[in-house]
Parts: sequence; structure tokens; C-alpha cells
Amino acid sequence: MPEVLTPEKLSTFTVALIGNPNVGKTTIFNRLTGLRQKVGNYPGVTVDKRFASLKIGDQNTTIIDLPGTYSIYPNSEDEVIVHRVLNGLDKTSKPDFVLAVVDMSSMERGLFLVTQIMDLGLPMAVVLNMSDTAEEQGIKVKTHQLYKALGVPVIQTNARSNKGISGITDLIGDQMFEQPASFLESDRLLPEQLSTAIQERFSLDNSYQAYQLIRFHDKEPILSHEESEWLRQEIKGADFDIKSTQLQETQDRYAAIQQVLETVVEKTDMKKKRLTDMLDKVLLHKIGGYAIFLGILLVIFQAVFAWSAMPMDLIDGFFASLSASVAGLLPEGLLTDLITEGIIPGIGGVVIFIPQIALLFAFLGILEDTGYMSRVVFLMDRLMRPFGLNGKSVVPLISGIACAIPGIMATRNIGNWKDRLITIMVTPLMSCSARLPVYVILIGIAVPAANIGPFNLQALVMLGMYLLGVVAVLVTAWVLKLVLHFNERSYLMVEMPLFRVPRWKDVLITVYSKSKTFVFEAGKVILAISIVLWVLATYGPSSAREEAIAAVEVPADGASEEEMLDYQHTLESAELESSYIGIAGRFIEPAIRPLGYDWKIGIALITSFAAREVFVSTMATLYSVGSEVEDELTIQEKLKSEVNPTTGEAVFNLATAISLMVFYAFAMQCMSTLAVVYRETKGWKWPLIQTVYMTALAYVSAFIAYQLFS
Amino acid sequence: MRTADTIKKGEVAIIDKILPSELTLNLMEMGFLPGKRISLLQRAPLKDPMAFRLENTVIALRKTEAQLIEVILEN
Repeated sequence: MPEVLTPEKLSTFTVALIGNPNVGKTTIFNRLTGLRQKVGNYPGVTVDKRFASLKIGDQNTTIIDLPGTYSIYPNSEDEVIVHRVLNGLDKTSKPDFVLAVVDMSSMERGLFLVTQIMDLGLPMAVVLNMSDTAEEQGIKVKTHQLYKALGVPVIQTNARSNKGISGITDLIGDQMFEQPASFLESDRLLPEQLSTAIQERFSLDNSYQAYQLIRFHDKEPILSHEESEWLRQEIKGADFDIKSTQLQETQDRYAAIQQVLETVVEKTDMKKKRLTDMLDKVLLHKIGGYAIFLGILLVIFQAVFAWSAMPMDLIDGFFASLSASVAGLLPEGLLTDLITEGIIPGIGGVVIFIPQIALLFAFLGILEDTGYMSRVVFLMDRLMRPFGLNGKSVVPLISGIACAIPGIMATRNIGNWKDRLITIMVTPLMSCSARLPVYVILIGIAVPAANIGPFNLQALVMLGMYLLGVVAVLVTAWVLKLVLHFNERSYLMVEMPLFRVPRWKDVLITVYSKSKTFVFEAGKVILAISIVLWVLATYGPSSAREEAIAAVEVPADGASEEEMLDYQHTLESAELESSYIGIAGRFIEPAIRPLGYDWKIGIALITSFAAREVFVSTMATLYSVGSEVEDELTIQEKLKSEVNPTTGEAVFNLATAISLMVFYAFAMQCMSTLAVVYRETKGWKWPLIQTVYMTALAYVSAFIAYQLFS
Repeated sequence: MRTADTIKKGEVAIIDKILPSELTLNLMEMGFLPGKRISLLQRAPLKDPMAFRLENTVIALRKTEAQLIEVILEN
């Protein structure tokens, strides 16, 4: 009989939700925690952890939602998390209890993971979820029998319809988790002497934990050099072969599970045609399937660009007027300037993307939740492969049209490192929404609003810019595939779950929490850079500044309001030109001249290294449009009439505009993306390589574009 | 011995064994085990990957992974 673990109840404790992918873990998590949940990052690793604090009775609990996994031996990045949490490698999120979720219609696979956790010796309980689908398929489970076989509490639920959720709450509240006896005699797996030696040295509880340590000692930087050397010697001394043992463990485990299932599962054969199979006939059809996918993509595109335009305008207007009213309220001075010209526009620059990002997440969430996304993976895998990508790269790339950050974070479930790395490296080439304002202004300047047949020429160029991004993604991925060498086999194993009606509430929760993560992740960086840039744009060598300011003609007394405003703008422009940023712009001018840019554009290139959309506001300041004027048309007019003082030609001719668009399409001008790539690849190597190759690509392509069009 | 990539639509096969490779464990963890019935549900356009029905689940594998699964046709 299982021993009862908690005679005295803990007043605060942590429960981890664990299970295979698609078993309803997240639904259960959402049902239990609602909107209380937070997204954090696992220390040292880069996967979101979702957690929420709950008060059940008089106890404070923390519930953690872990990524889906088939076993405690991790394959992909998100599965590593489960391993780390279960083995207490993350001190902060070591769970007191485990709630293992099993899909009732595929118990065998679910119990595989459950019994592994049992062998680790963690107090736990089992939730048999999706009882409705199981019943439809003629599967019945004798819960009590299963309890007797496993020795841990078992609850049957159907989380979608909320059935059994209160049972889970009670179970957590009463801490009815039980510490199981080990399921598999792991003593058989590991020579006793070796096991005892390891357990003693690392003060472990059982031989399965010792076995885990052997399995992972060289993967995790958890052991000191001396410790892992000792372990290596021990393993060698015992002549222990980990690979064959693990195979043996897998076989033994399944055999033992089979025995349990024989007594607890009743199966009647149902010859019912499944709706999912019929839908798949259409959705995976070799022509129809792609047509439907293309249609869905078009709807998403339409949403991200057209539907989000209005809320984005509102946000834009709000921050402009906020800036203006704060400027009116606070006394004039540097601090006020920092707030109204650095901080508020900085925050605004992040917040403005919320509508697009939320809409995109909503669509991706719905597609994921219905089960369609894995069909996309299935459809696209073969097509992506020649480019060094795989079916799972499609989701990050689609996300990339709104923002590269969530896209890069979505690469985590790509199982092999090479495919994942290539996807990370190319995702920023997808034309994200921050490029849109840049394209809009430049197309407006350079491309006539004529029609070619039924098509608007400007719209065609815009489409061309997006296609250019896609082509760059494919070509670059292909090159990377040839260049990068990893001894790793590319593979694809995806479960295609049953089609389901999306759970709208869950989709909303996901949209909310992901958008929040985006705002804070990207926000931190953009805000910091905005402040630095503001400082560099406000200060300059004092002599140069004084000269520049003195050179601006002060309007005579009684000048009209318009003249005063003009003076203000000219002054601002002169100040910017003589600031440190202005100096930097002049400094890089020789380098960018071959692309058709002058030093003013150089300033914009520098400022928009933080984030592309800064281009517009910099241009507005440089060409003294005035910072309150948010109207893109005004900027366009100004830019169009700008004449190069030495050559007497227009600064923004077709060649320069196209060259600049191409530059913005390819250059890595996004600090936040770099920060995320740094996190995801755990070092500066890849973000640096990415910056160098993208900048080189941008430079060369812009050069070619300029030569072609001039 | 036939491997799973040769299964045609409508055929049902029994998994005989999983050939040794670095993916053997991954396949077994997903439920590809000797004795299980497996059938082909869909082939993606361009014939790859393939979606297999395994018990109550549908799992997509590439041809190269399916070649690791040795099967015996039923009947």
C-alpha cells in the first residue's frame, strides 16, 4: 500500500502539471487558475513557464503548467524543462507535488510518462482527461482498479466541459497526493553497487534518480568537473551501457503498463467513422489542402493589416496627445523632454503593435486549438525541407509577419537543433509590422499611385516587399543548411490530434498572456534604447551645438505664429544635426553614399537600429516636420521636396527610396529580436552572426537596388 | 521484411520491431511498439510525410522515420 506522505499539511506548496502533448493540460490549468496566471522564464533555459498562485482553503498553492512531453528523457527544448523541474535542477520551481494528466483514449503512452515520474519518487496524482472522446471510442477505465495498481489518486475529468475540475481543486486543497512505490524495479536496470555508490555520493532517494543522473550527467552543467569525472569512472568501472539499458527500460515499462491496462481498461470496438478523418480528407488534400491553407493565410494577413489599423491609429493618437499634455503639465526642462520625447514615445512604439500581435496570436491560438496547426506542419514539411527548414518552421515564420519575437519563441518545439537554429536565424527576414510604416512612407514618395490593369502599383510594390522577405528567408535558410554542420538527424514526429471546436476562453487567455509577454520583453529593450538615443540626440559637443543654434535665423519681433513654428522646427533640426547622433550620421556617410543615402538618412539608420519604426519619427524631426505632426503625408511631402545642397537633385528619388526599403527589409534593426535570439541560443555567437549576415545582406542588396534603379 | 513506409492505404500491419537508430526511443515513446496495429491514413502531397493511425492516435512521420519500423501485414 502507498505510504501517506503528508501527515502535516504544507501551508504553501507547488503543483506541477505534466503530461503528453494534446491531453488537455493547459485547459485544466486555465480552468483552475483563470486570469491569475503569469508567464515567466525558467532560469537558465528559455521556455515560458506559466504559473499562477491560488488560494485553496487556507493554503497558498502555486500551479505550474509544463510543456507537453512523451517521456522524462527530453528531445526538444521545451521537454528539457520538464526534466529540469522534475529533477529539482531549477531550485525555484521544484514542485512539491505532480499532477499528471493522461488522455484517457491513449492511456498506454500517458502511463509511460506517469510511471517514470512515479519511479522518481515524487508525490503525485493522476488525472484521466478527455473522458468524452474515450467513451466515444468505446474505452472505459475502472478508476479504482487503476488507483490500486498505481498507488496514487486517480480522477476522471473532461476539462472542456468542466467535468471533474472541482475534484482536482479538492484534491489539491486537501493535498491528497501520494508518494508511490516505484513502478518498475529499476534496481534491475542499474548494477546495485553502482546505484548505491551514486546514491550515497549525491544523497539521492532511489536508484531511478541515480539512473537519471547517469543519463544526464554530461548534458547538464549540474555537476562539478570533479563530480562528473568521478561518475564517468564509476560508469566505466561497472561496464554500464546507458543506451541499451534505456531501450530495456522502455520495453520493460511498456510491458508492465500493458499488464496494468489489461485489468483496468474495457474496450468495445466502435466502427464509427470519425469526423476528424473526414475533415482530414479535405484539409490534407493535395490541392484543396493547400488552397485552404492559403485562404487562411490571406485572412490572417487581412486581419493583421486591415483590422488592426483602427486600434493602432487610436493608440498612436493617444500617445501623441499624452506626450503633448504631459509636456503642457510639467515645467519646461530636460526631464520633461526626456519623458515626452524619450519615454512616452518609446512606450508608445511598443504598445502600438499590440493590436497586430494580439490578432495574430488569436488566429494562431485558434488554429492550434482546433488541431489544424499540426496539419499545416504535415502539409508543409516536404516543401520546406529542401531549404533546411521543416514543417514546424511554418508557425514561427507566419508569426514573423507581425513580429519576429513571438516567432523566434515559437521555434522551441522544433526537436532538432539545426532546423531550429536555421529557423531562428531567418525568421527576422519576414517583413514584420515595424517595417510597414517605413514601406508606406517610402512607397508614397517613390512609387506613383498609378494602376497597372486592375492593380494599384503602390500595393504591388508593397506585396513585392513582403515576397522579397519570403524569398530571402528561403535562400538564406538554404545557404545556412549548406554551411552549418551538426551531427544531428533531422526528423519529424507530430501527433495530429482530433479536430475540436476552439475553446474561446482559452484562446483569449493565451492572447492576453502572450501579448503581455511581448510588451514586457520588447518594451524593456526599446524603452532603454529610446532613452539612450534621446540622450545622444539631445547632447552634442557644446561648441558645435552653439554654432548650429546661432546659425538659425531668429524671426523678427511680431513674426506670425507660422513663422515661429517654422523657426522652432528648424532649430530642432539644427540641434539634432549637431548632436552626437548627427556627428555619427556624418561619420558613416562615406559608407552609405554608394547606397544613395546622405548623412541625414545615416542618422535615421543609426536611430532605427533599436527598432525600425523609429525611422519615421527621426525623419520627422530631421526634416523639421515637428514632433507633434503624426501625419505620414506631411513627412512624405517634406521628404519629396528635400534637395541635396551639393548636387541640387532630389534626395529621395526612386533609386534611393527602393534602396532604403530593401535595406530596411533585410537589416537586423531590432534590439529586442537580438535579445530574444541571445536568450534562445544561450549566447552571443548566433545573434552576432545574425546581425553581421543580415547587415551585409541589407548593404549588398540595397547597393544593387540603387545601381539598378538610378 | 517490410517497413512502414511501404504500407498502402487500406492495409493494416502489425509492428514487428523498431530498427536501432538514434530515433528508436523517440518512436517507442510515442507509442510505436512491437505488436501494435498500424495503418496508413494519409500521405502528404509529394508522398512525404506520412500520417499513420496507431491505436487511437494519428502520428505523422517522414518516410525516413517510417523506414525504421518493421511491420508484418495483417492477412
